[in-house]
Amino acid sequence: MSGRYIVQKIAQAIVTIIAIVLLNFLLFRMMPGSPERILLRNPYLTQEKVEQVRADWGLDKPLFPDQFVGYVKATAAGDLGYSLQFRGQSVVDVIESHFWPTMLLLIPAEVIAIIVGLTAGSYAGWRRGSGGDKVASGTSLILYSMPYFVIGMPLIIIFAAGLGWFPTSGMTTPGLSSASFLTQLFDFLRHLVLPLAAISLGLIGGYSIIMRSAIIETRSEDYVTTARAKGLKDRRVLRQHAFPNAMLPMVTIIAIQLGYVVAGAITAEVVFNWPGLGTLTVDALETRDYPVLQGVFLLLSVTVVVANLGADLIYGRLDPRVRS
Amino acid sequence: MTAPREELGLARDLEARDRFADDETDPSVSSASDPVVALGDDAAPDGLPPGGIGERQSGRRGSLPKLAVPGAPLLVAKDLRTHFKLDAGWVKAVDGVSFRVDDGEAMGLAGESGCGKTTTALSLVRILPSNARIRKGSSIELFGIDLVPKTENQLRRYRWREISIVFQGAMNALNPVRRVGEQIAEPIEIRLGATRDRATRQSAELLELVGIPRKRAKAYPHELSGGMRQRAMIAMALACDPALVIGDEPTTALDVMVQAQILQLLESLRRDLGLSLILITHDLSVIAETCDRTMIMYAGRVAEEGPVSRIFTAPRHPYTERLLGAFPNINSDRRTLETIPGIPPDLLNPPEGCRFHPRCPAAMDVCREVVPPEVLFPDGVRVACHLHPAGAGGGMLISAEDVASRRMPPVAAETPAVGASPGTPGSVGK
Amino acid sequence: MTGSADFVPTGRSLRAERWRLRVRGAREFAGQFASRRDGLIGLAILSAFTLMALSPDLFVGAKETVVSATGTRLEPPSAAHILGADELGRDILNLTVHGARISMSIGLMATAITIVVGTSIGVAAGFLGSWTDSGLMRVTDFFLVLPTFVLAIVLAPVILDIIGPEAEFLGLRATLLVIVVVIGITSWATTARIIRSQTLSIRERMFVDRARVIGSGSGHIMRRHIFPNVVNLIVAQAVITFAAAVFIETSLAFIGLGDPFAPSWGQLLESAQSAGAPGLGAWWYIAPPATCVVLVVLSFTLVGNALDDILNPKAQVRR
Repeated sequence: MSGRYIVQKIAQAIVTIIAIVLLNFLLFRMMPGSPERILLRNPYLTQEKVEQVRADWGLDKPLFPDQFVGYVKATAAGDLGYSLQFRGQSVVDVIESHFWPTMLLLIPAEVIAIIVGLTAGSYAGWRRGSGGDKVASGTSLILYSMPYFVIGMPLIIIFAAGLGWFPTSGMTTPGLSSASFLTQLFDFLRHLVLPLAAISLGLIGGYSIIMRSAIIETRSEDYVTTARAKGLKDRRVLRQHAFPNAMLPMVTIIAIQLGYVVAGAITAEVVFNWPGLGTLTVDALETRDYPVLQGVFLLLSVTVVVANLGADLIYGRLDPRVRS
Repeated sequence: MTAPREELGLARDLEARDRFADDETDPSVSSASDPVVALGDDAAPDGLPPGGIGERQSGRRGSLPKLAVPGAPLLVAKDLRTHFKLDAGWVKAVDGVSFRVDDGEAMGLAGESGCGKTTTALSLVRILPSNARIRKGSSIELFGIDLVPKTENQLRRYRWREISIVFQGAMNALNPVRRVGEQIAEPIEIRLGATRDRATRQSAELLELVGIPRKRAKAYPHELSGGMRQRAMIAMALACDPALVIGDEPTTALDVMVQAQILQLLESLRRDLGLSLILITHDLSVIAETCDRTMIMYAGRVAEEGPVSRIFTAPRHPYTERLLGAFPNINSDRRTLETIPGIPPDLLNPPEGCRFHPRCPAAMDVCREVVPPEVLFPDGVRVACHLHPAGAGGGMLISAEDVASRRMPPVAAETPAVGASPGTPGSVGK
Repeated sequence: MTGSADFVPTGRSLRAERWRLRVRGAREFAGQFASRRDGLIGLAILSAFTLMALSPDLFVGAKETVVSATGTRLEPPSAAHILGADELGRDILNLTVHGARISMSIGLMATAITIVVGTSIGVAAGFLGSWTDSGLMRVTDFFLVLPTFVLAIVLAPVILDIIGPEAEFLGLRATLLVIVVVIGITSWATTARIIRSQTLSIRERMFVDRARVIGSGSGHIMRRHIFPNVVNLIVAQAVITFAAAVFIETSLAFIGLGDPFAPSWGQLLESAQSAGAPGLGAWWYIAPPATCVVLVVLSFTLVGNALDDILNPKAQVRR
């Protein structure tokens, strides 16, 4: 994979990011009366802050290029505006405080989903048409058709409200901040289980369906026939020959999916009242906290672009045919 | 490149250790003290192995499978039927095929696409699609061991170690994400139980044997040229020192120069290692160069089979004539055609009687109704055609059993045609 | 196109011939579809829901309102209310069946927008090529990258603000209109890409014929030649898009972008969430709309897969 390829891909990514910033910029300028009305109707901002923003963002100057350039400069410098909902806190701070709860939820979910989903998908695809395959495929299809919150709600009803094993919402139980670390940790883990399960199950549905197709395609390749003709055990043929080849497109797909999973988890966070980026987004929507909405949109879109870029670069390294 | 089999002694003593790790019937053998049947120097005391090798002492095999029947020929297929199940019915891809391959022989399997030659070969090791069935009544005997009733697990024991395959289009037949040397070493390590190191060394030797420099072992398949890939596949096929190698169109998709090299390689390997070969191809010139016997198949059945020299100089079956082009047939006053009109029949509903009759210019009424029986002629050629019935010219009806034992008709044998190896049935005269 | 000079010249016969071919093609298709169990199940489920959407009153009577509610707050299932009641006492079975109409019509309209926009752009890009193609594809790729759900969330208030909260179009109030438009805007890109690929391959085939179609304008060619060949793909895509549209609408409604006066299933789930139903174990409030959503998405997916396999076959050898 040549250096030229890498540079090209990175350049494309940068262009896309600029386009995203532009879109973000235009989006809220499109509404009647903005940006003054939108960005500045924040009762929590002091008058001098308002003046500063007006100056920084060039709001009294023409849209292009002045406002845009001002916007880009401010964004690059990390200034995304001030939150309406959070009493004038900077958007960056607000996002930061909601970032880690989401990560603590999504990272384990992805790991679990990758392990379970790929394994289940492999076996389902390898033993296509078997009883196990039908069950696995049917389950995956159903899970894939369920928005995360639709998976989450029954989980709450059964395991939290019904059996009482887990709390029904939130990330922590209020009032434990003085308790021992272990108690707090345990409390956190108890709160984590159901939302983690909901998101994992949703992801597993998708991954196993895709992996199953990949394995089915690989299975009909000639080198798999050769491997079988070599008298290798079925499991070895799957693991050493089919699976590595099926994983090539899978890695790309997973990398790309990573970009979108945050967006997908929004509804899950709402159902469980998990104080992460999802809840933040929905709250911002409700309160029309446009600066925060813009900030989240920027963050999530850039994440997707970076994830796609990562996928492109990874594939180049994995497939020996592309590597040289 | 010719390296005597002794240099592959590694495989031999690995064979002697005889890892039956995969086989559930045979008791696991891991000590060298277990008696191992050997050919060559330790041949059966009654002299010539009845497999009909004759003068061709290959000294090839270090050992036979445990269950091998002493004195049995290398491979016998009797009335092999492999059918595929479709929604619309059964496709009778291979429908009553019998043949025999002796130790050290090279048999060419020829015919148009779809005639069943590949399916026949794959049936031997049962690498078939999931909708395929080998019909009851078929038998495939490897050293006398019937493979048909074996379970998948039992059968695995014989794959690659006794019968290996060189597939066509080696670009797809090799795993694109693993190095070539690794893929060759894999069966040595897994099937023969060698250590990783030994397997790697052995794999390098095999590469050299087929004319690929050792250092290319670290290459990926796409980094090799077409010819080299095919050689690598041959090296891989030899990894476990098999008794029989099946080449499924091994030279198709290669240019003529490379084709010649590959054929030359196969020939020298045959000579030096005493390999037995089944070569599947639609190109008769390949068979003429490399094989001792040939079997012409049409629509899942045998049209004609026998020593290459005989079939090429005096083909009997009209289909064979056409395949060979414009060979005038002494026995007939028909004019042969250059091309074969029509298309191969639909094997879902094959024609009644002789399957070739819709395209045969010499088709008679009987051809449309009665399946022509196989008739063996004194020159060792077997034909299934109403134009060559039993009786005329010394032909005798034979059964699958007869094919297996290569029994000759009672009439005195003609002098074998020039070029036939001493191993043909005509001289053994059982 | 050969031998067209030998054709019976009256346009009528030609049309009749085309019709005959179409009917035969349709019959063949029906036969193939009938053999797909998954497609049939999906179709059956969809038919049931379509019936429900078309005439909900037939099944459960008029939609319940706060005024007509007879149940107690979050009443569990009973003889009077088979699926219990919501926080305002309204019968949930009633609400769910009526919700079918909202969810399905939103899905339908959003799909229509997606398909129309996606197909137009895809065909235009594939057919016109060069600069048009590059330009359109850049835009398409951009939209493909953007996370649809987040984009929808961000666009919704903007559009709502632009069209004003009182707007109404085709009987849909502003909020629902916004959802339809937003789903359309965020979903067209996939369709565009797929249609463009198909158009490109058709264009390759048509090149020779195009030389013979003397004087026909691009528009004509696109309509008469390209379009019939992409219809298959469009149909398959439409079904799959419908599934996605219902999926997205439900999620959007759940996070508060729905219309409380036109309760789709997503809106019902939002109400359930607000009322604290999950935590209270009020499964009867959640299960009906949730099950309906899953069933509809699932059946669209099944039918879509079956259609895709039949109309765009990819042969596979199984070993």
